[in-house]
Amino acid sequence: MAAAGDEYDPTPSEDELEAHLQTRNMVVNLGPSHPATHGTVRLKIELDGETIVKMDTEIGFLHRGFQKSCENVTWTQVLPYTDRLDYVAALHNNFGYLTAVETLMGVEIPERAKYIRVIGAELHRIASHLTTAGALSLELGGFGAFLYAIEARELITDRVTELTGARLTTSYGRIGGVNRDLPEGWADKVLKSLVKIEELAAEVDGLLTRNRIFTDRTRGTGVITKEDALDFGFTGPCLRACGVSYDIRKAKPYWVYDKLDFTVPVGVNGDNFDRYYMRVLEIRESIKMIRQCLAEMPQGPVMVDDWRIALPPKENVYNSIEGVIAHFKLVMEGVPVPPGECYASTESANGELGWYLRSDGSGRPYKIHVRAPGFQLLSGLARMCEGRMLADMIPTFDTINMIGGEVEQ
Amino acid sequence: MSDEKKVEAPKPPPPAGPPAPPPPKNPGFVTFVVDGKEVVAKPGTNMIDAAKSVGVDIPYYCYHPRLSVAANCRMCMVESSAAPPGKLVPACQTGITEGAVIKTDTDKVRAQQKMVMEFLLLNHPVDCSICDQAGECKLQDYYMKYDFEPSRLEGAKILRNKRKKLNDLVVLDQERCVLCTRCVRFMKEVAKAPQLGIFGRGSHEVVDISPAYGKLESNYAGNIVDICPVGALLNTDFRFRARAWFLSAAPSVCTGCSRGCNIYADYMGQDTYRFRPRENDAINQSWMCDGGRLSYKSLNKHRVLQSGVGRGGDVKDITRADALKLAVEKLQAMTGKVAFLASPVASNEDLLAGLAFARDVLKVKVIYAGGRPDGQADNFLITADKNPNRKGLEAIAKGFGLELKPFAELTRGIDAGSVKGLFALGAEVPEAEETFAARAQKLELFITTATNESKVTAAAHLTLAASVHVEDEGSFTQGDGTTQRFRRAYPPRGDSQPHWKWAVDLARALGLEMKAASSREIFKQLAPTVPELATFEWDKKAPMNQKRPGISSLPAGADGRPPGWREQGVPSIRGLTLPQGT
Repeated sequence: MAAAGDEYDPTPSEDELEAHLQTRNMVVNLGPSHPATHGTVRLKIELDGETIVKMDTEIGFLHRGFQKSCENVTWTQVLPYTDRLDYVAALHNNFGYLTAVETLMGVEIPERAKYIRVIGAELHRIASHLTTAGALSLELGGFGAFLYAIEARELITDRVTELTGARLTTSYGRIGGVNRDLPEGWADKVLKSLVKIEELAAEVDGLLTRNRIFTDRTRGTGVITKEDALDFGFTGPCLRACGVSYDIRKAKPYWVYDKLDFTVPVGVNGDNFDRYYMRVLEIRESIKMIRQCLAEMPQGPVMVDDWRIALPPKENVYNSIEGVIAHFKLVMEGVPVPPGECYASTESANGELGWYLRSDGSGRPYKIHVRAPGFQLLSGLARMCEGRMLADMIPTFDTINMIGGEVEQ
Repeated sequence: MSDEKKVEAPKPPPPAGPPAPPPPKNPGFVTFVVDGKEVVAKPGTNMIDAAKSVGVDIPYYCYHPRLSVAANCRMCMVESSAAPPGKLVPACQTGITEGAVIKTDTDKVRAQQKMVMEFLLLNHPVDCSICDQAGECKLQDYYMKYDFEPSRLEGAKILRNKRKKLNDLVVLDQERCVLCTRCVRFMKEVAKAPQLGIFGRGSHEVVDISPAYGKLESNYAGNIVDICPVGALLNTDFRFRARAWFLSAAPSVCTGCSRGCNIYADYMGQDTYRFRPRENDAINQSWMCDGGRLSYKSLNKHRVLQSGVGRGGDVKDITRADALKLAVEKLQAMTGKVAFLASPVASNEDLLAGLAFARDVLKVKVIYAGGRPDGQADNFLITADKNPNRKGLEAIAKGFGLELKPFAELTRGIDAGSVKGLFALGAEVPEAEETFAARAQKLELFITTATNESKVTAAAHLTLAASVHVEDEGSFTQGDGTTQRFRRAYPPRGDSQPHWKWAVDLARALGLEMKAASSREIFKQLAPTVPELATFEWDKKAPMNQKRPGISSLPAGADGRPPGWREQGVPSIRGLTLPQGT
């Protein structure tokens, strides 16, 4: 305080001018219930200005005890639980799980069932990719592309509903094949829908890929190097965007992928744009594959002919002791999976969906562990965001397409 | 099938003379190979049992380790190097040979198993959904394991009698029968009542009762239901009452007489549905009597689930706390004048706590032995003493320095007016209930802990609701002095609690320091003064709560259990209150 009689001098001293603004890092909570964190995840972000200094990802808000629950039900009854993993593309989980169980049992499913599984999986791959692209656009302020993407996704949801009976919780397929064949006229409907989906996907592509605002926001943001991505265990489009050509459909073909003509797009920069563009390209490949499958699919059974695995036809259950015994044992005790363990994986929309199964020979799983691709992607989110701007965090979170259901199980 | 019978025909001796038998690899034992695994077994061991000891399951219907070998189901046919080439031999009947190589998993054996299963199921009715055996049926198990083919039957199945009543307990469904003759052999060899036989020929063969008998006359007929590998023989008492896979099994001991047959108490929620014999070579082998089998009913029916005050028709239900308060008041008013009656139906733990209470709180020197009246004995399992724990009562009384007097002296005392107050641990009395109830009218104070309602409980001033043996852990000392542990199936029903808990609560309320929260603690604290029980390893001797045979996969919470709950461990059962302190 100035002494009495001193005159007040408003000119700051030199020291004062040179002093830095005393600031502290700010900690911001994003989520768990934030419109941009689709799925419930909490991001604790430490900000220096608008730059992310440190980011901490906290999961567990959608934990349901999936793996433990599986130990209390038969192998078949696990199927509805798998719907709730990656709920945007439930068929991937259904078929992935069944493929793993069949690997453990050493069962070869009929050719037609393999084709049906490819069709279902690719339909849901398109749905998942459209959702990712649409949501990304929405959160960068482009509402139009979102609407086109969701319109196309709705067509897929309708076809999936006709096939499985449910929009999201498909529970389609059974150990040894699929539980029902394609509905009558469904193939034609799918082909028609694909034309429309192609148009809508092209619309999304046209609105975003060469859009100045969109590319400014996505190119060079959320970058992760090839090495880091591999270290974090990235798979799927996010890994391929970094320039690693790894796709289980090519690396270790399952079902009928080795018979199909398709390419796996590979990116360069590992940034948000590349991750987005991988998906745009994969949608085209998936459409191509579905068309091939519908054209080449053989007639025949969709379920193995073995009463130790497949439920007997109803007329046998009602009219023969053999049928009723098989039905009773399969329902009450479950499909007998021989003792042993296996790891089997399929390429889901987000990457490698791996299943580690262990059986003690009873009708119930001894242990099920799921390697969901989203977990590794979410683990790498902090690496992609730290040192970058807060605003770029949102598109980065979009392009890794975290699904709470599979990350937290 | 006639082809395979020829297997037993003697092998023509080779021209060069019989080769010398190989010296045994393990002297005193027979060493042979089953599916590549070496088996060392005592001479005379059955091949099926020997194979089981190395983990090879040979399927069978007619074989039973405690019955003679019939070898008529043809399910256990295996390939043996000691058999004529190209022939299969029945594993149950073929003796084990030094150096033989047995194969149970070849195409030929598989084909044989498939054929047998197909024939067995050919005329089998489509009954699983209404059959009690479903879930523990060998036809179901083996069909899924060895056959799994659709039916090739054209036309109708042969119809037979579906409800042939063999006696009040056992009903025969001839359509479901696979003609293994286990029941026929059991009745002849174990029950010594050869009243069953096979009648007819070919597809029309049936098991039936011998024409000389109108119905099965045996106290052991219930066992043929247990040994029937399919659902042909059914227990009329259990029939249609519960699906086998919903039941849990608690290893327990039958309380019907002093034999102490080992049993499983099959229960669901807080109801026991049946008793099944549990293997014990030394006591009951695999069997139990029909009376013991039906004794489970007293665990469910006419139970004292709420303590009551008042005599005759004037009984008022009161809570456990109120009953305790009332009992304390009444006992305090008559200190030193209360006699103590102990029932040998109660477990050792109940009696340990009860007699400690009698000695230290009621200050009695003499206790009287109650319990059920004696009955008929037979020369197999049934004993004349219908109380499971008389030896235990005697031992504990002696160990505690109490004089155990017969019941007659108590009645004499009541009649003479020298006994004015009576505390009974267990309401079972060895005379007619009416007689004792009339006598008890003279008593100024009659308090009893009771599991079941009777004329005796009606005569008591105060009835304290007690739990039955399957509702707590404990032990019995049976007629031959063997002490056996039983396990808890479910928590006590209603407002009841174990006898020992009443004794502890009363002792504590009357000023005696007694700390015991479980029957285990009671035993650990009080048994050391009883020489007969001091060395009994209470924890180690507890039978394992093991998985029930058949379908053990329980739908989550189907009977009130939490999902994933199995037979092991103490249940924290949804909707049921666990008793305090246990």
